[in-house]
Amino acid sequence: MTTHLLLSAAADSVRSYGEFPVIGARGAVWIAAQVHLMFAAFVLGVPMFAVVAEAIGIFAKDAKYDGLAKEFTRLLLVAYSATAIWGAILVFLLSTLYTRFWAYLTTVFGPSMWLYAGLFFFESFTLYLYYYGWGRWKYGRAKIVHWTLGILLNVWGTIVMLIANSWLTYMMTPPRDISSTTDPTTIKLWHAISNATWMPINIHRLIANVVFGGAIAAAYASYRFLAAKTDEERAYYDWMGYVGNFIAMSALIVLPFAGYWLGREIYQYDQSMGITMMGGFMSWLWVIQAFLIAVLFLAGNYYLWIGMGRIPGAERFRPYIKYLLIVLVLGAMVWGTPHTMIADSKELAAMGGSHHPLLGALGVMSAKNTAVNLMILATFLSFLMYRRGNKEFTVPWASTGTKIQGAMFVIAAGIVLFYGIRGYFVEAIVRIGFSVYQVGAVLACILCVTVIDTMMARGAKSVGEIQWGKMPARSQYALFILAVTFTWLMGLMGFARSGIRQYWHIWQVMEDTSKYAATPALGYASRMISLCVLIFLGLVGFVFWLGGLAEKSTFVSPGKEGQNVGH
Amino acid sequence: MWATNLKVIGVVLGTLFVYTLICNKIPQMQSEVPQKITLGPNATPEQIAAAGEKVFSGVGGCGACHGLGTRAPNLLTDEKGTGQIGARCGKREPGKTCKQYLFESLDQPTAYVVSGYQPIMPRITKLVPPEQAWALVAYLESQGGTVDVTGADLGAAASAPAPAAGFAGGSTDPKALIKEAGCRNCHMLDGEGQTIAPDLTHVGSRRDAAAIRKKIVDPASDVTKGFESFAGVMPKTFGTDMSAAQLDALAQFLAGHK
Repeated sequence: MTTHLLLSAAADSVRSYGEFPVIGARGAVWIAAQVHLMFAAFVLGVPMFAVVAEAIGIFAKDAKYDGLAKEFTRLLLVAYSATAIWGAILVFLLSTLYTRFWAYLTTVFGPSMWLYAGLFFFESFTLYLYYYGWGRWKYGRAKIVHWTLGILLNVWGTIVMLIANSWLTYMMTPPRDISSTTDPTTIKLWHAISNATWMPINIHRLIANVVFGGAIAAAYASYRFLAAKTDEERAYYDWMGYVGNFIAMSALIVLPFAGYWLGREIYQYDQSMGITMMGGFMSWLWVIQAFLIAVLFLAGNYYLWIGMGRIPGAERFRPYIKYLLIVLVLGAMVWGTPHTMIADSKELAAMGGSHHPLLGALGVMSAKNTAVNLMILATFLSFLMYRRGNKEFTVPWASTGTKIQGAMFVIAAGIVLFYGIRGYFVEAIVRIGFSVYQVGAVLACILCVTVIDTMMARGAKSVGEIQWGKMPARSQYALFILAVTFTWLMGLMGFARSGIRQYWHIWQVMEDTSKYAATPALGYASRMISLCVLIFLGLVGFVFWLGGLAEKSTFVSPGKEGQNVGH
Repeated sequence: MWATNLKVIGVVLGTLFVYTLICNKIPQMQSEVPQKITLGPNATPEQIAAAGEKVFSGVGGCGACHGLGTRAPNLLTDEKGTGQIGARCGKREPGKTCKQYLFESLDQPTAYVVSGYQPIMPRITKLVPPEQAWALVAYLESQGGTVDVTGADLGAAASAPAPAAGFAGGSTDPKALIKEAGCRNCHMLDGEGQTIAPDLTHVGSRRDAAAIRKKIVDPASDVTKGFESFAGVMPKTFGTDMSAAQLDALAQFLAGHK
């Protein structure tokens, strides 16, 4: 009670909001929060990438992966500092520009903030041990211990993310028994943490960080590829770019499902918030999102298709690429079709409703879910062709296996189309359930086809080795576009998540009474996002440059270093 | 090397430029903070309706559902041959004028749900101040009907203290709570209601009072077999709208339906 009185007194005596020159208080906090988040995603995504690469190096006895893991861990050292610096800037800005709000947040979440700072400490020192111990703990059991340090690094990082997520999800979906009159000192910490969107955001961000880490890793590799002076170096960075892109695209396929869960939880928590998000003033945002995801799908597939040029035997699949391109382009067009647009009465009367009479039929969820699921299937097929490029299966059932795989694709596409069309003839609440069947069919197809393909590939003949490094420069620019688009998309979705609170700091608990309370239009938001992406990529470029300055590339060529890392 | 650097910078800047340009070329909509309506007691119906239009397409976000013909009835255009909302609102609920019906639909959206639609509309009076709700009523009346909301309605709404009694006027009478919550819009109870959700006539034989209370507060906690496809339809707001005494009274009443 005393704390509450002190808080109230502080709130009365201290200004609620501060001002920041030129860009304003909101702009300053926006930039600090967004760039901090991008670095945080980088330092969480890249260790996942590194620890998986190190594991492959150990268990598949391939030193190349070990070198890859070390090269990325080196970049983390500087990136950690940048994350901490931007985090500190964010805290200073929040505490001076949004004083009342910050006081509330620290009252509710204080202990978790101390833990957060402590974990950062542990995380940093685990990273130092992980990186500087690389050469010392390289063989035998010591290597496994070293790998465990990598896992530990990820554990600390994930807990840090879970804590930070609880603060921002509380702002979106505070527990329903908390209102504007609730004394913040009476709110139990765990009650505030375990709010409705905490776990969906945790899962969504975890997957998104893998995507982001992979994309940034691929962009780094593509730069080193373009700057490479020898064929050997070019081959190594071509391979690294492929691995980064593969990880990013694989995780991207799962991401929409996590996003769907998050959206569903938002709707369940508060219908009006869900409607604001999907159909209110943010409706155009989803058209832009569809456009960006279309860019990701097209650039990712384009990179795979060009990559087939360096795989002997892959030319047999080239005729099919045009059909995949048609599916992807048509899918992207359907997904990007606007549906629920806010319009004035004259516009509504002219259209006969709030959507276009012809295009409106393609703008509904049934069409969009169908389009995105077919795009995922097409992307998976691209990857399958790439994977099979230089292989000739020798198992006696190879022909039957391929037919079964083909049938699985047809069945999955059939299920997706069937429920897509049927969705037009049922009620909304039933239609929502259909997306589960569509997603289930696609995931089952991906899983079963991969298992069959792995079994068929046993003892397969190689038509020729993949000629790493023999990639045209344009393929590397596709990887850059992927990295920029992923980063920009992260900023856009951050705006969507934060913007649905509209004029509330904490939804229906603490109102934003500053002059920046109105949620800006997409034009302003896009300029802020581009600025944040530019700052982030500029700093990441500097980190990469420092990485190259501090130590030469760790690429390992056959014969120069032992192949059996960890053994 | 410089050529490569410049190309990379060009690709990055070019991509950012394209995305920013597209976002600046589409219609720009800012989500405004609900403002107090400053119309005085002498405001004309046209002025009030014009203020309501801003709420409709702004903070109210009404167009997100009304107008598609799927989520909610069309309001500004014809709804299945019955005309615009202003033309049909007076005939919706027996004994209620257009004005009364429209305000009720904003304040208690589940009290009357148009046949063929789900009770998914949020309580608009929780989102906007009462005078804005009245302006919204005026705007809807103006769509094919006659506006009878006056400046006096706005003034009374603006100066009226917030209803302290809360849900169902603070009543703990289970029947009043059931009516206010609109339970029968989905559930059948004692021979009245719909069959979208489980029949509550013998709910006491399946659940005790504590389980019923939990289900009201957190509908997603347990979904009755056979109604999985309707999970998520029941509003999650009763836990905060009703007082503890009201929740207990309702749970006890339903538990008595063996």
